[in-house]
Amino acid sequence: MNPKRIIIDTDPGIDDALAFLLALASPEIQLEALTTTQGNVTIDKATRNALAVLELANASQIPVISGSVLPLVQPLRASAHIHGESGIGNAYLPEPQTSPLPGHAVDYLIRRALDEPGELSIFPIGPLTDIAMAIRKEPAFAGAVRELVIMGGAILEPGNITPLAEFNVYVDPHAAHIVFHSGIPITLIPLDVTHKCMLRQEQVDRLRKIDSPISQFISDAVEVYLQESFRLGYDGCSLHDPLTLATIIAPELLTLKEYFVDVDISGGVSMGKTFADIQKLTKKPANMKVAMDVRGEEFVELFLQRIESLSERSTG
Amino acid sequence: MYMPKRILFDTDPGIDDACAILLALASPELSVEGISVVHGNCSLVQGTTNALSILELAGVSHIPVAKGCALPLVQPSLLAPETHGNTGLGYAQLPEPRLQPIGQHAVDFLIERILAAPGEITLVAIGPLTNVALAIRQEPRVVGAIKELVVMGGAIRYEGNTTALAEFNTYVDPHAAHIVYHAGIPATLVPLDVTYECVLTPGDVERLLKIESPVTRFVADATRFYMEFHDQYQKIEGCVINDPLALALTFAPELCTYRDLPVDVDLSGGISMGKTVADFYNYGKQPANLRVALEVRARDFIELFLERIERLALSSKP
Repeated sequence: MNPKRIIIDTDPGIDDALAFLLALASPEIQLEALTTTQGNVTIDKATRNALAVLELANASQIPVISGSVLPLVQPLRASAHIHGESGIGNAYLPEPQTSPLPGHAVDYLIRRALDEPGELSIFPIGPLTDIAMAIRKEPAFAGAVRELVIMGGAILEPGNITPLAEFNVYVDPHAAHIVFHSGIPITLIPLDVTHKCMLRQEQVDRLRKIDSPISQFISDAVEVYLQESFRLGYDGCSLHDPLTLATIIAPELLTLKEYFVDVDISGGVSMGKTFADIQKLTKKPANMKVAMDVRGEEFVELFLQRIESLSERSTG
Repeated sequence: MYMPKRILFDTDPGIDDACAILLALASPELSVEGISVVHGNCSLVQGTTNALSILELAGVSHIPVAKGCALPLVQPSLLAPETHGNTGLGYAQLPEPRLQPIGQHAVDFLIERILAAPGEITLVAIGPLTNVALAIRQEPRVVGAIKELVVMGGAIRYEGNTTALAEFNTYVDPHAAHIVYHAGIPATLVPLDVTYECVLTPGDVERLLKIESPVTRFVADATRFYMEFHDQYQKIEGCVINDPLALALTFAPELCTYRDLPVDVDLSGGISMGKTVADFYNYGKQPANLRVALEVRARDFIELFLERIERLALSSKP
């Protein structure tokens, strides 16, 4: 079977970096580009981190295209408490030798989608600003994208940025609104499932034993993230962004439900809340598949195995 | 040496947009360097056709027209056929244009032209602000490179023309207006408070028609529809021509008086959705972000409009 061709739209971000590495470690996936957006960090850091992580994995042939500097309407917000000042925790990666492609991520996504209609899957794992702008700028974009697999939202789970809202959706709720109602086939990976995929201290220690730049990077990068997760009462740190790739490498681990999903953009206490009409009260047709359950430990084990083999390949 | 002011239009033509374009072409103080089209008074496709037709009507073929956004950012599409007629130009019938739009997207066109001449370009935005907002978000350097932005939009101490509170351009894409108002561009807002003072009367149109020309015939046919609309809905004898005033302020700022005010747009989705709010007493302790036109010498403006259209009609007379 041919590997699935994907572009990841990302704001790296520790778990974003883990998602790239998992994609590179997975023969089922052909990672064709990274487009960047503000989110966990500012755009300059996001693009730098994307290039640096690809270099770490000897994958600099994969293009990086820099995207949105600001959310559409809401003010910029970066989450240094989770991801560290640099966005990659306590890990140190040298200044990348490669540069992003010229041009804007929005135009790159539009061109790639229109060049091969129905072929391209996009995995947005940050705020949805780039995707929303592509939809509004080029009306043919929505019909040309094969699917979106989005890390975002908290359906029945509490929020991680307000009591109700999940970070990626909260940072640019208007963009999420545009994307959710665009008609593009969507699979949503919300906190409801990512919080069941916890990377624990002993698993990080297991990676640290491998003498490879990749495993060392991961153990250094997740240090801050783990501490912050412990402080919040979790027993590990969530593999939010990598879990999107389970839709390709282990779809049997996910339970998907079709729902009508919307985002509150009215600016009150529920601003940025992603809600699903589980009881079909609105009678509106479903606009996406939502992962509502996952066999989390199995996914984390799969993640570890893939990263271990990628690390071992890159030791010598 | 006297240099005309370099302007770009972002527009949804639209009867009064068409009048604004004609006024610009008739004004030696201005050099119109391009027209970007956005959804609004009529669909993007219709608006693009109209922009091209109006240029042909005025005998102008060198000004590029770029197609932009067909939909508002977040809100559902809202067009205004009851105000502007099914073609967007009232009863005017213009031939299918031979001119074509350029291939470049309006957002990219605005970015390219503004960055190519930092501090030189005045952008006159007289439709919903979707194109301008996307240009700002795609290329933040646009903010520092625009000389001045003049926006026709909002109703400050005036009732709305689309909801009880909200003015059409802002209501159609309030999120885009929010982006543009808070972008930090030196901007003048031309709200209904001043544009609704500027009434083109049936007598004014009769005066124009004394010159036999396709331009005067167009203004008469287009505005006749507008007058019927205004008579039916707003009990105004004549029609208000919102957009030409915004254009005129680029070279005749003395027509209005202004105040620098903190201005915001309601996005909360309730009864005041899309309402443009100015904080006259600075309750919110925010710095002023827009210069707002609050009073106008309306008859002086109408006189200027008529003289300029007459001049254009005479110069383009076949």
